[in-house]
Formats: sequence, C-alpha cells, structure tokens
Amino acid sequence: MKKTKTNRKMPGKYVYFAFTVIPVVLYTFFYVVSVINGIKYSFTDWDGMSQEYNFVGIKNYRMLLENPNFWNSMKTTVLYSIMLVVGVISVSLMLSISLNSLKRFKTFVKSIFFVPAMIGGVTIALIWDQLFYRVVPLIGQALGIEWLSQSLLMTGKTALPAVVFVQIWQAVAMPTVIFIAGLQQIPDEQYESAKMDGATAFQRFRFITMPYLLPTVTVNLVLVIKQGFTSFDFPYALTGGGPVRSTEVIGILIYNDAFKNLRFSVANAEACILFVLVAIFSLTQIKLTSRGGVNQ
Amino acid sequence: MKVNRDTLVWSFLRTILLACGLILILFPLWLVVINSFKTLEEAGRNFFALPSGLNLDNFKELFTNSNYWIFLRNSLKITVISILLILLLVPAVSYAIARNFSRKYYKAVYFYLLMGLFIPSQVIMLPVTKMMTKLNMLNHAGLIILYAAFSLTQGVFLFVNYIRGLPYEIEESAQIDGCSVFQTYVKIVLPLVKPMISTILIMDTLWIWNDFMLPLLILNRTQSIWTLPLFQYNFKTEYSFNYTLAFTAYLLAMLPMLIIYCSGQKYIIKGLTAGSVKG
Repeated sequence: MKKTKTNRKMPGKYVYFAFTVIPVVLYTFFYVVSVINGIKYSFTDWDGMSQEYNFVGIKNYRMLLENPNFWNSMKTTVLYSIMLVVGVISVSLMLSISLNSLKRFKTFVKSIFFVPAMIGGVTIALIWDQLFYRVVPLIGQALGIEWLSQSLLMTGKTALPAVVFVQIWQAVAMPTVIFIAGLQQIPDEQYESAKMDGATAFQRFRFITMPYLLPTVTVNLVLVIKQGFTSFDFPYALTGGGPVRSTEVIGILIYNDAFKNLRFSVANAEACILFVLVAIFSLTQIKLTSRGGVNQ
Repeated sequence: MKVNRDTLVWSFLRTILLACGLILILFPLWLVVINSFKTLEEAGRNFFALPSGLNLDNFKELFTNSNYWIFLRNSLKITVISILLILLLVPAVSYAIARNFSRKYYKAVYFYLLMGLFIPSQVIMLPVTKMMTKLNMLNHAGLIILYAAFSLTQGVFLFVNYIRGLPYEIEESAQIDGCSVFQTYVKIVLPLVKPMISTILIMDTLWIWNDFMLPLLILNRTQSIWTLPLFQYNFKTEYSFNYTLAFTAYLLAMLPMLIIYCSGQKYIIKGLTAGSVKG
C-alpha cells in the first residue's frame, strides 16, 4: 500500500471511486440542488403554481421581519424546543438512573419504556388527540381542576404544552437508552471507594456519575434540540397550528404558507432563516462538544 | 443505619417513578386495544371497561372496506426497497472514504455529505416537492430515491467513524493474498461492520416506516399509493366521528412494528445504542 503505485493497484483505485459515484450523484441531485433551489426561490415572487416568476431581491425577507405571524412562529418554535429539551433530558435522566439501578425485571421494564420509539409520530399524536378529548377532561373534572376539565388542545394557553407533552411521551425513549449505555461504563469500584471515603449520594452523582454521563448528554442534547427545531408531525396531526396560531411552529408555518396560502417564495425564505439559525447552532454545538467528559 | 435509610427512600422513589412511567406508557395503548373491540355505542357507555365480547366488526370493516392491505403493502415495499438501497450504498461509500481519507477527493466527499447535518428538513421539503413534480416522480420510486439520498449524511457519518476505528491489518493481509479491493470489501469489511449495519438497519427502518412528512409531500394526491401513516392521518379527517374504528386503525398501523419489536427487542435496543454511543 505504502510502497508502490504499480499497475496492480490501479483497479482498486477505480473500485473505491466507483463506490462514491452513485451516492454523490444522488445527494447532489436530490439534496444539494434542492437546497440551492430553495434559496433561489426565496428571492423570487413565485406562488408555486404559475409558469413564470420574477426575482424580487430581499423583499420576502424584509416582509417577514415585519410580519408578526413570523415572529410569533419563531417564538413558538423556540418555546417548543426549550420545553421539549428540558422535559426529555430531565425525564430520561431520571428514568435511566432508576432503570440502571434496578435489580429485577430490568430488561423487561426497559423494553416497555422503549415501546413509544417504535410507534410513528402521527399514530401517537392521533391517539393522544382522542385521549385529550375523552380521558384527560374526566381526570380534570374528578380533581376539580378547571383548565384540565376541557380538551387541552382547545385553548391557546394549554395547547402548546400539551403538544410538547405528547412528543416527550415518544422522544424520551431513545435518550434514556443512550444514558443507560453511558451509565454502564462507570466501574462499580468507583462508587464503592467513594462510599468508603464517606461521599454523600449527591457527591457521588456530581463527581462520578456526571463526568461519565457528560458525553452522552451532548449526544442527547443534539438529538433533541434538532427534533425541537424541526418538529412537524406532532403539531400538524394534533392541532394543525391552532388554536389561533398558538402551536404554529416554523415547520407548520412553512407548510401552510407554501401549500395552503400560495406564498411559496415566502415559505422558502422562512425555511432559509431557519437554516441559518440551525447552522449557527450546530457550529456552536461542535465547538462545545470538543471539551469535557471522561471519554474525550 | 443512615445509608440504609437513604437507599430505602431512593428505591421507594425509584419504584414510584417507574410505575408512573409504565402506567403513562401502557394505559393509552391499553385503551386503544380495548376500544378497538367495541362498537361506538358500547365505548360511549363505558370507555374504560373491558369489551363485552370479542367484537371484530371494526377489524372486518377495515380489512374489507378500506385499503388497509394495500397501504400495508405500500409501506412494506417502500421500507424494504429503501433499506436495501441504503445498505448497498452507504457502507460502500463509507469504506471508500475511510480507507482513502488522506486523499483530497475522498475527504471532500466526506465533508460534502456531512453538510446535511446542518440543514433542517424544512429547507428541502418545498423545493424537493417541486422538483419531484417536475420530474413526474410523485410515486413510490421517487420516494424511495429520496430516502436513499437523505439517509446518506447520517449513515456515512456513523460508518466512516466506525470503519476508521477498525484495524487495517486484516484488510492489508487479504490484499497481499491477492484479494481485490472489491473482494476485500465483500469478504472482510462487510462482516466486520455488522454491528453498524444493524444500527443503520433499525434506525432507518423506524424512520422510513413511521415517516409522515415525505409521504405527505410526495404521495398524498393519489390514495392508492398511500403509506400507513398517511392512511391514518387521512382517516382522522374522514371518520372523526367513528372513533372506535379509528382506534382499530391505529392499532393495525402499530401492530407490524410492535410484533417485530417483541421478537427482537433486545437486539433492537442494543443495535440502536451501539451506533449512537460510539459514533
């Protein structure tokens, strides 16, 4: 390999190259060209249907920045993501620590907690849609809590947390098993010697568990934040963005503007703004990932 | 003494937490199951009770009067072909990249494919729909190609890192023994990357089988080519009054995946984490 570049190696080079051809072509044609087209459309006045369109410069972007619905949608998306991340990370952390220390039925209980990851977002959303309508109000009435006595999806204030709750119901599964995988790397001796030295439960968590979990926390954060920013299935199937735009995350806004309101170019501009935000976020994320944790 | 009480409190809290979690997961699914065996009337009388008998009307209705079998076949076809295509392309391109990482071209391909990590799905969803419309590919073939193209970023990311972590000596000795690059790939490398193949297989199967957005964009116009998620979503708008029938539809849509999960849950969980933790 190192020494020679004889003729015998020549075919190998071609095989390697051949391996890359189809993926690169597919990716270029269907992915990269689409992204470029999207950026291009965002500078036009195309409604998505007509034969021709004109370039209008940054008009769409200027319009968006003045549009309260766009800002509302951005705010909703950020709020949605924050609730999702806080909910998923805290619940999956608690679950994984509980599950990992379980002595009996560990595999069985773990496998049940993973069931939601098998079911599609739409199915889950539609099931909860029924439950919010038929079951949850009964609980609210029984407990005498007023805001819980009607469908949570009907009022603006409760709809967003309700949608996030349903997504958390599914999204917790994957981070939980990733956390468990991280916890299993901790050698038992470390806990024992810490106990002998008189470390409290909190100290043991802080100085033994945390450093081992840190790399998996990063993996999970990336996973969940991306889910938050790009959420579509759950709000679309549960509320369609309503009531009164209270759950209109950016994914829904883009879809509706493009296919229902015939503002195709504006929808592309919305997508491009989201693109810039996600890119900035991902780059920061990569910078931050490079430090800390036992594994690194 | 004190340590003992600590552990007692801890195990008490743990049991409560896990029990609440189990109820929260199983109770909704339980309600779906029992109500799918009820008539609308019976469910209206008592939503939480066990069904009075094994009433299979809802199932019969779906099996005969809806296109459930067609949608199931569509979902199966799309998932299986897409996965085969992905497994044909992703390990091969990753192998080429991983073993030629010092070369400019392969490094460039790697970072080119990885760009997708920064691009949210909403950016592509509009232009890709327009493109597929123009190409006359609002059909299964179009959707399958899109899945193959969109799976590259994550797949290559996981595979390249995995292959670069494998020792090179085995391949080298195989090549000294006269194996060509292609033979080495098929006989030596593919068996070595089996754990990562199962990770990708599970991850992408779950994604494609349950995906809603791409089928909504590509297939929604023609009913006969719908997938199961599309069927369910459209079912909601069509039959919103008949909710026991809807529950039956949800149950039937979940069932294939749940059966597969029951038969191999250990491997599925292990396979999924192997990739995401190491990568």
